[in-house]
Amino acid sequence: MPADQHHDPFEERLTAALHETGGGFETDRTALAARGAVRGRRKRLVRRAAVAGGAASVVIACVGGVLVLRPGGTAAEAVPASVTASAQPKPSVTATPATGAQMIATLKGLLPKGDFSEERGRGTEPTDQLKVPAPYAGLVLDDGKGAAAIEVSVGRVQPGGTEARQAAQCPDRVYVPYDACKTSRLTDGSVVTVLQRYEYPDRRVDTKLWTAELVTPTGQHITVSEWNAAAEKDRPVTRTDPPLSPARLTRLAAAKEWRPVANALPEPLPDPALPGSDLHARTHLLALLPKGLRVTDKSSDDGDFAYAVVDDGKGRSLVQVNVQPDMLDSAGDLFGSGSETLPDGTRIAVKQGPGDRGHQVMWTVDTMRADGRRVVISAFNAGTQNESATRATPALSIAQMRKMALDALWWSGS
Amino acid sequence: MRQARADEYARFAAARAGHLYRSACLLTAGDTHLAEDLVQEALGRIYVRWGRVCLVGNPAAYAQTVLVRVFLTHRRRRSSSERATDVLPEVAAAGVDTPLRLTLLAALARLPAKDRAVVVLRYWEDRSIEETAEVLNASAAAVRTRSTRALKQLRGLLGEDVGAYARP
Repeated sequence: MPADQHHDPFEERLTAALHETGGGFETDRTALAARGAVRGRRKRLVRRAAVAGGAASVVIACVGGVLVLRPGGTAAEAVPASVTASAQPKPSVTATPATGAQMIATLKGLLPKGDFSEERGRGTEPTDQLKVPAPYAGLVLDDGKGAAAIEVSVGRVQPGGTEARQAAQCPDRVYVPYDACKTSRLTDGSVVTVLQRYEYPDRRVDTKLWTAELVTPTGQHITVSEWNAAAEKDRPVTRTDPPLSPARLTRLAAAKEWRPVANALPEPLPDPALPGSDLHARTHLLALLPKGLRVTDKSSDDGDFAYAVVDDGKGRSLVQVNVQPDMLDSAGDLFGSGSETLPDGTRIAVKQGPGDRGHQVMWTVDTMRADGRRVVISAFNAGTQNESATRATPALSIAQMRKMALDALWWSGS
Repeated sequence: MRQARADEYARFAAARAGHLYRSACLLTAGDTHLAEDLVQEALGRIYVRWGRVCLVGNPAAYAQTVLVRVFLTHRRRRSSSERATDVLPEVAAAGVDTPLRLTLLAALARLPAKDRAVVVLRYWEDRSIEETAEVLNASAAAVRTRSTRALKQLRGLLGEDVGAYARP
């Protein structure tokens, strides 16, 4: 019973009754946790961005300005299990369960000669702490030119599903700056994306992170990551580049040794349906942009989030929009004093301030109709959130952003 | 390393999924399918924000907050009014349907969604009025009003001696 309540026997009995009743509900927690992770990955993949400064909004204030658009190097997260599927992994192909030690040995066998240290790994068997298997192997390789961390993760994704598709795409440069990215198809039908990027998108430390992400036609998902430092973070750069060239990185990801390990994992879940996936924010954003602006870049997918980089001749300006069907719960946080309410109940909040990183100007027009349908548009005085300002103010005026946000087009066809 | 954070999330989700599910079952008055869906949605949202969530003092309480908000959002999607339902949703097939469980769930089902959330937060989660208000984005006064109203209604539906059902 809550401590701040005066003593009431009924409340005590209610508390006991709730505990007895609630405690009686049981489910497959492992499967539930895995399904939650699947949904989370899916959310991240649809490029939901933090547009407004509405920190109270659980839905959008996700990753600040640093968008992680793909699960680069996190393949082992992608190992869901389901109640039904986990019991019967499909024995269609060779499945070889591996221990952590075997994972490490396999990795070492595929690497060039050198000194190995800080070895760690996990096999395909669930552990007490981690019921969903997420095999990986990691170590520090010193080939004489500088110690470097290397990590391989093995998982499974739904063939043709969102994760498989995303793995075969280079990320949008607007959000993930990188030196090079190349997607290629191997002779066995696998698609591999080699991404040469930085551990920190703003490059406050020049730690390079190179990844090869490979998805086979049957959904085996292998991710190799390497750094030019002995650890991902908090260790000094030891060399100019990570030790394995993009070609070598690809070969390591494509090594046949990983395939049976992936087969030993539970089958992945089908893509969960996500609210808002029937929206067409990209199409509508491009349609609603004021005339006279040149679009130099735009998001690659449609959905509930979209961006465009526009140029009015005075410099590039990033414009992004989130379209959310059901946000009434957050209305109180998003539209405080100083917000405006139209006669039809639509609320409007305007914010002009620094961007998430502080060094940019970010203008935001947040709108919510009386039924909770929210459109929030932000514009920056730079082409990406990672670069210096290219101009004094965004290329759109507040009036233009407001007109766009209030347009009924966002909700057509949804 | 990169893997460490993924592991941390996985451990958190595995550790909390059971409790979140039980909370969701109470929030939905026994609709176990919906409860599973709500927990997945809540865990999904937490996944996206894990980098920050894991830094907050009490990720478990945060997860509970997300769950309740997901629940209320879902309710709103279904019907724009906060109408109590007379139809008892499908109750879990698993487990024993004790008289207490059936009666309590039927009574919870009759409460408006937000009142039910107040009851679950206050008496299942043991949250204070102020904490409950924070979760619901409401004022303490509004929570008190809801709490009083819900208790009165439950008292009427369950009778003063709720525990009697537990000892058939």
